[in-house]
Amino acid sequence: MDGVIMHHVALWTAAFLTLGIISFLYRDNAWYKFCEAVFIGISAGYWFVSYFWDNLYGKLWLGIFPTDPTQPPDYILLIGGALGVMMLLRLIPKIGWLSRWPLAFIVGATAGLNLIIYFASNVMVQVEDTIRPLFGANYAASAYDIVGNIVVAVGTFTALIYFFFSKEHKGAFGGAAKVGIFVLMVTFGASFGYTVMSRISLLLGRIDFLMGDWLGVIK
Amino acid sequence: MSGRIYRYLAVVVAVIACVLLYAGKRVGWYEDLMFPTWLSILVCILIAASMLWILYRTIKGKPAERRIVFLYVGIAVSLPLLMTISLHVPISSEGQLLYDGMKKLQPGSKVLVSFDYDPPSAPELQPMAVAFIRYCFEHDIKVIIMGLWPQGPQQANLALAKILAEPEIKAKNLVYGVDYVNLGFQSGNEFVIQRMGSDFKSMFPTDYRGTPYDSLPLVRNITNYSGIDYSFNLSAGYPGTREWVLIAVDRFGLILGAGNTAVQTTGMYPYVRSGQLKGILGGMSGAAEIEELTGRLGKGAQFMVAQSFGHMVMVVFIVIGNVAYFLHERKKKRT
Amino acid sequence: MTGVTCRCISRAHLPWLVIILAATLLFPSVSSGETNTAFVGVVGDTVPPAPVTSLIASDRKYDNGEAIDLTWVPSIDDRLLHGKVIGYRIYRSENGGEYKKVGDAGKGDSQFSDETVSHGNRYVYYVVAVGPGGQAESIHTAPIIAEREWINFNRKYLFLIGLIIAGSVVYFIETARRGKKLFIRRIAGLEAVDEAIGRATEMGRPILFISGTQDMDNVQTIAGITILGHVARTIADYDTKIRMPVSRSLVMTAARETIKTSYLAAGRPDAYSDDMVNYVTDEQFGYVAAVNGIMVREKPATCFYLGAFFAESLIMAETGYSIGAIQIAGTAMPTQLPFFVVACDFTLIGEELFAASAYLSNEPKQLGSLKGQDVGKAIALAVMIIGTIAVTVGQSWNIDLMNNIADWLNSVFKTN
Repeated sequence: MDGVIMHHVALWTAAFLTLGIISFLYRDNAWYKFCEAVFIGISAGYWFVSYFWDNLYGKLWLGIFPTDPTQPPDYILLIGGALGVMMLLRLIPKIGWLSRWPLAFIVGATAGLNLIIYFASNVMVQVEDTIRPLFGANYAASAYDIVGNIVVAVGTFTALIYFFFSKEHKGAFGGAAKVGIFVLMVTFGASFGYTVMSRISLLLGRIDFLMGDWLGVIK
Repeated sequence: MSGRIYRYLAVVVAVIACVLLYAGKRVGWYEDLMFPTWLSILVCILIAASMLWILYRTIKGKPAERRIVFLYVGIAVSLPLLMTISLHVPISSEGQLLYDGMKKLQPGSKVLVSFDYDPPSAPELQPMAVAFIRYCFEHDIKVIIMGLWPQGPQQANLALAKILAEPEIKAKNLVYGVDYVNLGFQSGNEFVIQRMGSDFKSMFPTDYRGTPYDSLPLVRNITNYSGIDYSFNLSAGYPGTREWVLIAVDRFGLILGAGNTAVQTTGMYPYVRSGQLKGILGGMSGAAEIEELTGRLGKGAQFMVAQSFGHMVMVVFIVIGNVAYFLHERKKKRT
Repeated sequence: MTGVTCRCISRAHLPWLVIILAATLLFPSVSSGETNTAFVGVVGDTVPPAPVTSLIASDRKYDNGEAIDLTWVPSIDDRLLHGKVIGYRIYRSENGGEYKKVGDAGKGDSQFSDETVSHGNRYVYYVVAVGPGGQAESIHTAPIIAEREWINFNRKYLFLIGLIIAGSVVYFIETARRGKKLFIRRIAGLEAVDEAIGRATEMGRPILFISGTQDMDNVQTIAGITILGHVARTIADYDTKIRMPVSRSLVMTAARETIKTSYLAAGRPDAYSDDMVNYVTDEQFGYVAAVNGIMVREKPATCFYLGAFFAESLIMAETGYSIGAIQIAGTAMPTQLPFFVVACDFTLIGEELFAASAYLSNEPKQLGSLKGQDVGKAIALAVMIIGTIAVTVGQSWNIDLMNNIADWLNSVFKTN
């Protein structure tokens, strides 16, 4: 019985909060402010708990003191733990500067990893893919494909020129850069369309909850 | 003062209506409130007529305020859910490519599904997850679930609960740890993908229930991506499909298909074109596509009708907005 | 075809056909001796196929000791295509232990990659040709170890091109350090930064600075924080208020450090307060709700959005627009740029964010990196233009020289 009551309470609470957030569309109001505060508080708490159990306990503690006797302790995690403690040293102003080391570690490690993977995948592979015959092998491409190939080639060249910072955008170079920004704007337009779809999907998700799970007027 | 009273009155009426609908459903006053066809058509005509009225008022110099736009989008998205209208979703070449990859999988193949999203993106990605996993179960394909977002594996559990409750899947008596497994969340973003390239177990010493990796028959012999036949990434941002492509595909040769929120789909097309990504499903229409391809229509297809109505209303408002803008500009020039 | 078959099979053949049919129904397949086999045999053949020959196991080059490749010459019976071979099984012994099956290969196949090996172990393989009449084992390979290689020579061009770009970056950084002025083109929108801060000062309203929703390991966040340094310096000079809600604790730490340094540099350390930057939540939409609330209630005169953004971009920019703030945005997230372009007064598109960061900080490292990247872009541009022309001309008019150029460029940029 308790479970059933809790189910009803949960449904009404979720509906109350959903409608409260949507009420912002009308104007800022006390209901919205209340829902906003609840949302922020709960999400901050959720992330704290999630990080604690997933990282501090799940990874660090269980890594060093595994519950499974067949699993050897992973002492290398102590380095990560020490770096984590160093982050907290900000609270002691005298040695607060030590908190910059873990920061440097995170930035450096990520930059190192990303340097190669982005260069290999986003530069090398994409450049290789751009080298395509505009008219297909032995003019085999259809008119649709030819136009597509030319748009891709010209779009890539000119957009790249727009992002060239060592030369002022003047003359023919400036003209190409202008075509480049035009291509970018067309891309943004397409992207905008997709986003409209995405936003309506989010709204639909909530309306499905309100009309389906809560009120039950739809299947 | 009277305005405030009307507002309070409106809120009270709305609350009473909601309570009646809620209670009515629970005590069995009605099953659902689906519109008959004639009513659906009538509603569409009324909406179209009222929008024409707004256009007329705009031309007359009385533009609608922004809240009217919100109201119309809300109506356009909600009412179609009550209508008995179905919509055929054309299959994109990227969606077809993804499905072709799925069809190549043999019974017993191992598929890695990474849930890299959280509840806000569920309307778009959850129907894809359900359709994909259901297809795998129907074809006796083994499913290994993980997440780079903390709430991802929970979304996976919701999808699993829904699919496993279906009679035909129930009849297969699928066993956790043998036919499917949820390895849970691992923090570390792209570093997790990188590390899995050499050692899965180091990233997932246990599954989300705490069962040791070696005790899970499905994964205990999998050391790295070479033990995976296909992978599917459901992504709503970072870390997500881009990171999987850059590391797992390009460095370790994983075969990857993806389902993305519509927002980030355009950014992934270059990877499809270059062959790094074996197909992509974009947003709600992608969800409807995979449902159509796998032959089981669900939330994706149902939502696509409402989605299309929403799009139409927005297109009309873009036209109205442009009319208002140009009329305003002309007036400014005259003065 | 049907007619031909009917004429060939006369009534005299019928008893034989009935016998064969009955045998087929009674004995649908012949076990090949393995319970886990995937192959299905044919009735009546009792002669096993000839084994495969020239079986060679080789360590895969330039890997992390994770694979051994096997090659063989298929069984003569397989090559003659008379159905005597239906596939191959690959067996392996690890460190002298017993042989276990590691995989199957189809008929006609002449290679197999074993990607389940561990480096340092000794492996011996043999291949079994399987047919309806039985199976035949090949000779065993010599013991082999999967070695780890230090350098992947398949990626030599990646290294070379990377070296050229990295070398250019180092060269330009050194050039900037020596005091030589490096030219960077004017970036539209940057002039507006000081103007926007001035406007907020005149109106007596705060400035809102959002550095995205990603952590300090994201280069865009770093660029945003670098620009924050310049903005905070001007704010300190003008004595305006800055408000910076953040969604990551590390960003809060870095932003406080940056603003503090700027206030120190402006000679106004007393005006700095830790409250200028506050952590809200990691949750994306929770953060957006808070920022929207701040915008609507405090009505900042200027909003900066500089960093990595996702779905929150439009929601924040739209709210900023509705309160009439001057908005300056910059991000390298291609999917979010449209919203900033639409809703903001100035937008730094993609790499312009990093260029702006370099331009404002005038730091040799950032300036040099930007110039070095321009070298990389010039190389990419040249290769794409030459490659596209070569492959188009070569394939359209069958000119070998052009095709060779295109092939060579493709091979250079192939990373796997």
